[in-house]
Amino acid sequence: MASAASSTTAPAISHKIKEGVAPLRAGQGISFFLRRLHSLTGIIPVGAFLFEHILISNSTAISGPAAYARQVTFLGSLPLVFFLELFFIWLPIAFHGLYGLYIWYRGDGNVAEYPWTGNWMYTLQRWTGGIAFAYIVWHVWTMRFAGIDLHAYPSASFGKVQEEVFQPALFIFYVVGLIAASWHFSYGIWLFFAKWGIITAQRAQKRFLVFCLLFFFLLTGVGLASLAAFRSRPQQPIEPGMAAKVTQSAESR
Amino acid sequence: MAAAPKIIVVGGGLAGLSAVIKIAEMGGNVDLFSIVPVKRSHSVCAQGGINAAKNLKGEGDSTWQHFDDTVYGGDFLANQPPVKAMCEAAPGIIDLLDRMGVPFNRTAEGLLDFRRFGGTLYNRTAFAGATTGQQLLYALDEQVRRYEAEGKVKKYEHWEFLSAVLDGNGVCRGICAIDLRSMEVRTFPADAIIICTGGIGAIFGKSTNSVVCTGSAQSALYQQGCYYANGEFIQVHPTSIPGEDKLRLMSESARGEGGRVWVPKKPGDNRDPKSIPESERWYFLEEWYPKYGNLVPRDVATRAIFKVVYEYHLGIDGKPMVYLDLTHIDRKILDRKLEGILEIYEKFVGDDPRVTPMKIFPGMHYTMGGLWIDYKQATNIPGIYSAGECEYQYHGANRLGANSLVSCIYGGAIAGPASVKYAQGLQGSSDGNGCFEAEKKKQEESNVRLMNNQGTENPFKLWHELGELMTKDCTVIRYNKNLEQTDAKLVELLERFRKVNLSDRTQWANTSVVFARQLYNMLQLSRVIAQGARMRDESRGAHYKPDFPERDDKNWLKTTKAYFAPDADEPKFEFEPVDVSLIPLRPRKYDVAK
Amino acid sequence: MANKSVILRIKRQPNPAAKAHWEEFELAYKPNMNVTSCLMEIAANPVTREGKATTPITYDSNCLEEVCGSCAMLINGRARMACSALIDHLEQPIRLEPFSKFPIVRDLATDRSVIFENLKAVKAWVPVDGTYDLGPGPRMTQEEQEGAYPLSRCISCTCCMEACPQFNEETGFVGAATISQVRLFNTHPTGKALKRERLAALMGDGGIQECGYAQNCVEVCPKDIPLTKAIAEVGGEVMKQAFVDLFRR
Repeated sequence: MASAASSTTAPAISHKIKEGVAPLRAGQGISFFLRRLHSLTGIIPVGAFLFEHILISNSTAISGPAAYARQVTFLGSLPLVFFLELFFIWLPIAFHGLYGLYIWYRGDGNVAEYPWTGNWMYTLQRWTGGIAFAYIVWHVWTMRFAGIDLHAYPSASFGKVQEEVFQPALFIFYVVGLIAASWHFSYGIWLFFAKWGIITAQRAQKRFLVFCLLFFFLLTGVGLASLAAFRSRPQQPIEPGMAAKVTQSAESR
Repeated sequence: MAAAPKIIVVGGGLAGLSAVIKIAEMGGNVDLFSIVPVKRSHSVCAQGGINAAKNLKGEGDSTWQHFDDTVYGGDFLANQPPVKAMCEAAPGIIDLLDRMGVPFNRTAEGLLDFRRFGGTLYNRTAFAGATTGQQLLYALDEQVRRYEAEGKVKKYEHWEFLSAVLDGNGVCRGICAIDLRSMEVRTFPADAIIICTGGIGAIFGKSTNSVVCTGSAQSALYQQGCYYANGEFIQVHPTSIPGEDKLRLMSESARGEGGRVWVPKKPGDNRDPKSIPESERWYFLEEWYPKYGNLVPRDVATRAIFKVVYEYHLGIDGKPMVYLDLTHIDRKILDRKLEGILEIYEKFVGDDPRVTPMKIFPGMHYTMGGLWIDYKQATNIPGIYSAGECEYQYHGANRLGANSLVSCIYGGAIAGPASVKYAQGLQGSSDGNGCFEAEKKKQEESNVRLMNNQGTENPFKLWHELGELMTKDCTVIRYNKNLEQTDAKLVELLERFRKVNLSDRTQWANTSVVFARQLYNMLQLSRVIAQGARMRDESRGAHYKPDFPERDDKNWLKTTKAYFAPDADEPKFEFEPVDVSLIPLRPRKYDVAK
Repeated sequence: MANKSVILRIKRQPNPAAKAHWEEFELAYKPNMNVTSCLMEIAANPVTREGKATTPITYDSNCLEEVCGSCAMLINGRARMACSALIDHLEQPIRLEPFSKFPIVRDLATDRSVIFENLKAVKAWVPVDGTYDLGPGPRMTQEEQEGAYPLSRCISCTCCMEACPQFNEETGFVGAATISQVRLFNTHPTGKALKRERLAALMGDGGIQECGYAQNCVEVCPKDIPLTKAIAEVGGEVMKQAFVDLFRR
């Protein structure tokens, strides 16, 4: 036994336990600011814009091309519209979307192991956010930067939208984008109220969740109705010559 | 000025943490050793409460009454002066814990609420729901964490104490410990060490104790020359929930809040307990002990249950179990005051005790015996102190419910400053004359021997045998013949231990070698318990011999002091008179008011 | 399923550097078995189902009554305490794995000390002046006590962290348990003296902002602690603090 002693008393092959998740970096970094800014931009201005875009502006399509054109004209007539769009829509959406993708990348979804409502919502919030972001990028590109300039020719708006929604694949993309964005925003409101400590108790949170779900149905419903409106009418003209130019239409008012 | 005293505290339960806080507060440096992260220590299991005579219920309670109840409940075996000091300190301890943020239950006015516990007629037990021990431990753990953040305390968690390092003069100079992950054996110097390593439940196989409560550290020190006192006094808690892996405690607070113990009057009555009418239930504790009823001390309740089950054959379904009934108490009150323990029953048995009477049976719970210490918590080896369940000072022959938490915190609060004072009086620092190297080598060799041993015995199986043996003959009812056989069997088990064969010989987080070491120490300590019980021919507190049913103050009002005789490899005994200078002896009876 | 035996599939890993593998064990069924009693039985007879001799399983355990927080592991894929996992309620074969988000020590034992570091970082204690006799603590109403008590029952088992999709090396998220402790101490009459510092700590990287509100924490918590409520409440406090810091400091 003595002979074995030397072998075992020799320092054991010591293994190193890995570092693992780092402890809290108390008071360090700016991730708090970024995360809260992300949360805030989701409500204002991005959410607020979505609210306006679906419930106010696009719902005018239900009343027909003329009403729709009037709304587009009005929006186009806002002072410094490009800067409004840049600072209150595009940059916030870009930040919210890109930082959101970063958040998504950093989380480890585990809904397979823990298939509970809150966890499904967590997962869904990421997927709907991703889908909505992709849709919005495409939507902004085609509506704002490609094809006819709707600020210059508002009366072409109805037709331009129609041109897209009459294509089945794009129509599906519209519907999916609408549902994803509506869901993401509705549950986002719920998340905002929970994370910012406005509604804290579980029962109250459940009640508020019902409210947010209703809001989702409202958004989706109005959005679908607007889409239906586009598809229910014959294709309206888009050509610059056939559509009245914005200055004229503004004068005619 | 000399450097700050360096104290090693072994064990991070209530006693250890209490000592750590006191030492840090006095400016000392502490190395705190614990097998588990200290927040996971066994103190968390204490449920019911902590005693202090704050007299907030207008009952005329006083610290003297608390003292008297404790001494009387302990059947006069405890030295009275330290018990008196503890009871006097108790109200201050409660205040301190209250200030530290323990969420004690409150009265309508916002003051501390108190409940009744066994062995007293006063509402003297402060409580935080049914998880008082957990709340108390956390409060101290948080304060220690604060000192740790300030650099005054260094924790060695997942380290196990192996032995004390003694110099040529028999003075303690530090400890030898093993890293339970890397298996590295290392020595640590200190001016003094405080042993706060808790209970010895594992000796009895299944008990209400936690896995780490093996008594291994106490036993190692006993084998190094510390006296072990009153080892034969083992408390069996009357109400535990039998389980496959352990006996889970059903707190005395269940009875404190009005729980009633009964059995069906008809043997073998297997009706649903709820359908058994009042007239066919036997509330035997209430009948036998009209004054204290269900709140007789634990030893008395345990023996009563044994009698009902084994002599009257009235156990539920013929099994060793009786009912503990809470169903007559309002659900809201139960949830507010007992939720934690009811939840345990619900979780581990599957029945709701608010609706169905609980099935319970006595289970090994606590050791009144432990390392011998003086009134300053010092053992007989200079530089070694001890506090908490692992020492013997405060509970005599039987501990009252809710007294252990107070004795832990009080003991630690005495041991801490006493060790600092001792350290400050040390003459220079000894290099130990190579005693550190020697101790390390000795412990390493012992590990190597175990690792390389080619035998046939599985340590876990030996442990099962030990547990069954000790539970059968060294708990509630003791006969000399059986105790002699027990000791003989212990010798046999020690012999078989030499042929132990570890199924794990790796050098990383090897639980087998650590367990084997603990087992050896358990076996050695078991002999102290068995032989101590054999010698004490009387019945006192938890120690009950039907052949000697009376307390015998003439011959046995003595502290049993066991010491290890290395040559004989067995315990030898001395006896020391008990200090009964404050409360005169009187018979202990719970059928009438004292 | 044969009801007379219990089959366990256990993920083994002898040390942090080794590769993990699975071993299967078959035990005779007894009533009232739980996962820890099975692991104890395997220790006494470490032989796999195929009859191969192996080593006892290394795992953390202590109280075995779900109050010490030691024996957390993945049982059939979910974070929970082994002691309160009754065999009768588990689908067989029972899969035992170590926590996936904590560094492995051996077999089912992981190093979960990060939670204690986190508690340190948020100063989870009441700053008492000392242990000498300073009279009783502050008065508290029953309502306040009943608010604090559930939070105070946290056993630091880290189930809430393991189950949290946001808790990982990428985020270094502090986890629900620590946030709930901030809530506990910030509401204590004396503890709130450090409220500002605790909230400031939680605004650091890995702080409360990393919470994604998946709410797994509150579902897996063995002590039913209202974790999401605590997170929401602290979330509100943190925002208030952030605004105060922005405008008043």
